[in-house]
Amino acid sequence: MSQQGQNSHTEPERWAQERLQSIDTLKAPIIQLGRDMGYEVIENHDLGAGPVHITWVFKPGSESLPDMRLGFICLTEFSNSSINEGIARAMLNLIDKLVFVVPTETMTKEVKDAIESMPDTSILQLRKFVTVLTPSTLVSKSGIRGSRERRSAQTGGEVV
Amino acid sequence: MTHHYLDKLVQAGKEKGFEIEQNVDYGAGPVDVVWNMNLHSALPNIKFGFVKLGAEEGQGASQDTEDNQLSLRKIEEAAFRGIRSGLDKVYLVTENEEMAKSVSGKIEWLASHGSLIRLDAISLGLYPEQQESSVVIPSQKRVPEGEKIRKEKEREREEKFDEYNRPKGERRDKEREEEKIERELKFDENSRPKGQKKVLDD
Repeated sequence: MSQQGQNSHTEPERWAQERLQSIDTLKAPIIQLGRDMGYEVIENHDLGAGPVHITWVFKPGSESLPDMRLGFICLTEFSNSSINEGIARAMLNLIDKLVFVVPTETMTKEVKDAIESMPDTSILQLRKFVTVLTPSTLVSKSGIRGSRERRSAQTGGEVV
Repeated sequence: MTHHYLDKLVQAGKEKGFEIEQNVDYGAGPVDVVWNMNLHSALPNIKFGFVKLGAEEGQGASQDTEDNQLSLRKIEEAAFRGIRSGLDKVYLVTENEEMAKSVSGKIEWLASHGSLIRLDAISLGLYPEQQESSVVIPSQKRVPEGEKIRKEKEREREEKFDEYNRPKGERRDKEREEEKIERELKFDENSRPKGQKKVLDD
């Protein structure tokens, strides 16, 4: 009986441990990429509303413009409550754009659909605020130049 | 108890002629009660949502209401559930008055960081027996009254100070000659160190 009790106590702990581990796995390439690109990288950015797992802070080119904060929140499983909580944390911690990092492409679709299914009458339209992707998409796409960049490289002109 | 209150909310909404929805999910999670208010045929409906906040947790089963406090996480989640559901106002229903005040205070604090969204303009804490207004009076409105009381007390204190600690020069002007001699004698007598007390002649 005591063993049973012990098991029931350790189960949530084990679950939390696994969740933390998978968050760390999702975080690692984003931290690396942010540093490689020369951004200021903050782990667990928190102004009081709860942690945003990673934040890239960068200057948009002029001293007179405010710093931009790109926040990354890792989701290990799909649920509406975790999406709500993530959006709340990002908005209330003054994040300018939020990226949900998820482990699989299937989950990317689920989260995207959930965000896009908001009623049109809603005060917030989150499509422009939230992006959903997997770490592999982020890392692989960072090495690919956009069509504009390619064109400008060919013509030797600058991207405006 | 909260269920009973939700029934009351449904009843109150019906009495006012609002269209009521119960336990609805618009895709962002469940909302306990929604009042659809049709104020004018030319205007769109206004939606008031009520979300019950409890101590129970989904997976961790932690009880965070023992000290009448609900976690920020729950408050944020419930408020954004309402916002994502397209509600115009989201009221968070708690077990008692203390919790409701704590929730409203936390919402105000979260809104004070200057976010794009003014959470306190959309969300508030309510408790089952609430009759009075749930709107938290902002500190800017509370301060002038406090300032008034503080200044009154300060004035009283200064009056007392004036009475008992008047500067010497001022006192001397009003003193008679005999009073002055007596005061100086007493001062001389009592202000010397113990070993140097002046021995009075018999």
